[in-house]
Amino acid sequence: MKKNNMVAMILAGGRGSRLFDLTKKVAKPAVHFGGKYRIIDFALSNCANSHISTVGVLVQYESILLSSYSARSSTWGLDSKGGGVYVLSPREKDETGLGLYSGTADAIYQNLDFLDQEEADYVLILSGDHIYKMDYEKMLKAHIDAGAEATIAVIEVPKKEASRFGIMNTDKTDRIIEFEEKPKEPKSNLASMGVYIFSYKSLRKYLKEDAKVADSAHDFGKSIIPAYLKDGLKLQAYRFKGYWKDVGTIDSLWEANMDLLKDNSGLDLFDPDWKIYTDDASATPQCIGSKAKIDNAFITQGAIINGEVDHSVIFSGAEICENAKVSESVIMNNVIVGKGAKLTRCLVADDVRIPEGMTLGKKNSDEILLVSKALIAKAGENHE
Amino acid sequence: MSKVLGILNFEPSYVHVRGLEDFRPISATSILGRYRVIDFMLSNFTNSGVEAIKVFIKSRPRSTVEHITHTSYNLNSKRGKIQLLHGDTDYRNNELFNVDIQAFKTYMEFVDVENPSYVVIAPSHFIFKQDFNEILEYHIKSKNDITMLYQSVNNADTQYLMGDVVSLDEKKRVTAFHKNRGKYKKVNVSLETYVMSTLTFKQLVDEACTTSSLYSLSDIVADCVRAMKIGAYQHHGFCACISTLNAYYEANMQIKKEKELLKLINDDWPIYTMTNDSCPTLYKKGAKVSGSIVANGCQIEGTVINSVIGRNVVIKEGAVIKDSVILPDTFIDKNVKLECGVVDRLSIITHIKELKGTREEPIYIKRGDRI
Repeated sequence: MKKNNMVAMILAGGRGSRLFDLTKKVAKPAVHFGGKYRIIDFALSNCANSHISTVGVLVQYESILLSSYSARSSTWGLDSKGGGVYVLSPREKDETGLGLYSGTADAIYQNLDFLDQEEADYVLILSGDHIYKMDYEKMLKAHIDAGAEATIAVIEVPKKEASRFGIMNTDKTDRIIEFEEKPKEPKSNLASMGVYIFSYKSLRKYLKEDAKVADSAHDFGKSIIPAYLKDGLKLQAYRFKGYWKDVGTIDSLWEANMDLLKDNSGLDLFDPDWKIYTDDASATPQCIGSKAKIDNAFITQGAIINGEVDHSVIFSGAEICENAKVSESVIMNNVIVGKGAKLTRCLVADDVRIPEGMTLGKKNSDEILLVSKALIAKAGENHE
Repeated sequence: MSKVLGILNFEPSYVHVRGLEDFRPISATSILGRYRVIDFMLSNFTNSGVEAIKVFIKSRPRSTVEHITHTSYNLNSKRGKIQLLHGDTDYRNNELFNVDIQAFKTYMEFVDVENPSYVVIAPSHFIFKQDFNEILEYHIKSKNDITMLYQSVNNADTQYLMGDVVSLDEKKRVTAFHKNRGKYKKVNVSLETYVMSTLTFKQLVDEACTTSSLYSLSDIVADCVRAMKIGAYQHHGFCACISTLNAYYEANMQIKKEKELLKLINDDWPIYTMTNDSCPTLYKKGAKVSGSIVANGCQIEGTVINSVIGRNVVIKEGAVIKDSVILPDTFIDKNVKLECGVVDRLSIITHIKELKGTREEPIYIKRGDRI
């Protein structure tokens, strides 16, 4: 059976500035999540599980780690003949010289050669910074069945939160009639998930035209979709039910991690039919010492627990020393929580060493405390 | 450097791991939750830079084949090669004749193809960490015909039973071989690891064949103790010989201590294994876990004390697992009390609420059992 050739393009160039020190040297999609993953593992695993064989990852901001990580196609089983994960960074061109990606649409436009080369029939546009499990194959079927030129995945959000999202106003058949970016008074609660399927032929034409418009934002939401709507092309909404989270802030990243401790969050990482793949650390199994106390935690291999852990997620290589207490916190890779240290409602960045006896964070705090190396250094100075 | 061929030998006839051995060779037996026994020796080979490895399998090859084909052991996928040689077809009904020498003889053409200068033969039923370059260097410098690895142990009365024990002279040459019948605590046990030139290896195999069809490599090496210069190289650090169910159990219990674990497996000497892409382990409300090592993909609501928990194991509330080794994909239902047990893969314990063995004789629950 010949398959419709859908090529996935993951937009992974964003800076993620609201994650502060976490994204100082690492692009947001490469930030660790859920013990053993990186955020982009979700999009890449969804692609693999949806039988997509060719994935482009568009990188720009601090891309060294993200590029080297994504390039290892075999991690997600995407190393078939003719398929793979291709890292696409801005390149120097004969006519226009070296130009950065100036918007989401421009990023795809600059890689039309790649999509031509892969002979794409459909293009799936994804964000590299969302946590969710989704079958894009089903969405493609809906796209084809509806005879749409573009299909946009939407999720119902609470009305009062709708003004934070791009909102789709649809008719009875879920055809999109209007798109509003962060409307003050939303008319619907269907939020765009940043997941689009485009029929390639028309997309190619619209991207080329948009590129000629000097004052365009070169953005899917602001430029391409309005142009489609204006010309009366068929845009369809595809309703997604399930867990979906944009982890753009420290609080939302922390929350998404905490969701893993719940039985009913809707994000089931145990499902053997839809595994999330990741670089498998050649770490030891998790080592739980004889004095350890663990109450509701999500812990991965390579972690060493000798202290007390409750309502927390502990990442690979992290060590919780004796008499340390970690509550409602996210402890990222290779963090060492020194003896007797107490952490409450903290998110501790990779490789941070918490000195013995240090207390950080507060119960019932409004905001989650981001613990970075800089914060520890500052705390040390104040102490002296 | 001269080309070295790694040979992973299959288990000798004295190895009998009650229960577990009915389903797979010892090499493919799950250990420490996320590894197979073979991972340790194969990682020794690849960490030592050996690129050509032959793995001999005595019988029931399925799980070893599956495991090795899905694990890269960090070899370059073009230059490196792990070849599986399964030699029991003609011997299926006669265990006595299924000896390593016969397997080596049958497959000698695959040794020739590699054209190695030296062979390193290592056992599949031992767990230890060893850089084989050290032994090879020593072998070449000392001008031995054969160099073998040994360890001074003080628990030979209960472990290493029926394995080889060596007597050494002051130049660290082997003067005599004996079988360990458990009479003494403190002896030098052979770790069944040999370094020799390919020429010597082929000589030994031929000689063994002309002597007896029942001869194993360790038999013929012992025979040559006067005719050849057999040197001994001392191994330090953790070592386990998985020859009985008790030895298997004890090995798990010893390595699970944080200090031993990190000495045996670390960034400088990683142990490679097959990934299962399991998510991290969820410790639910009410779970109590201490003194244990736990693999990924588990869901724990009960109590786990001083145990080894394999991948994707479910332990329901009220269950108490103590001093036990739980292999992957096992389900332990509510209020089950288990002490000193080895629970094989894919089994479900739900109706029987109390299971108790001893450290010397752990209780064994069969693979796929529903009790």
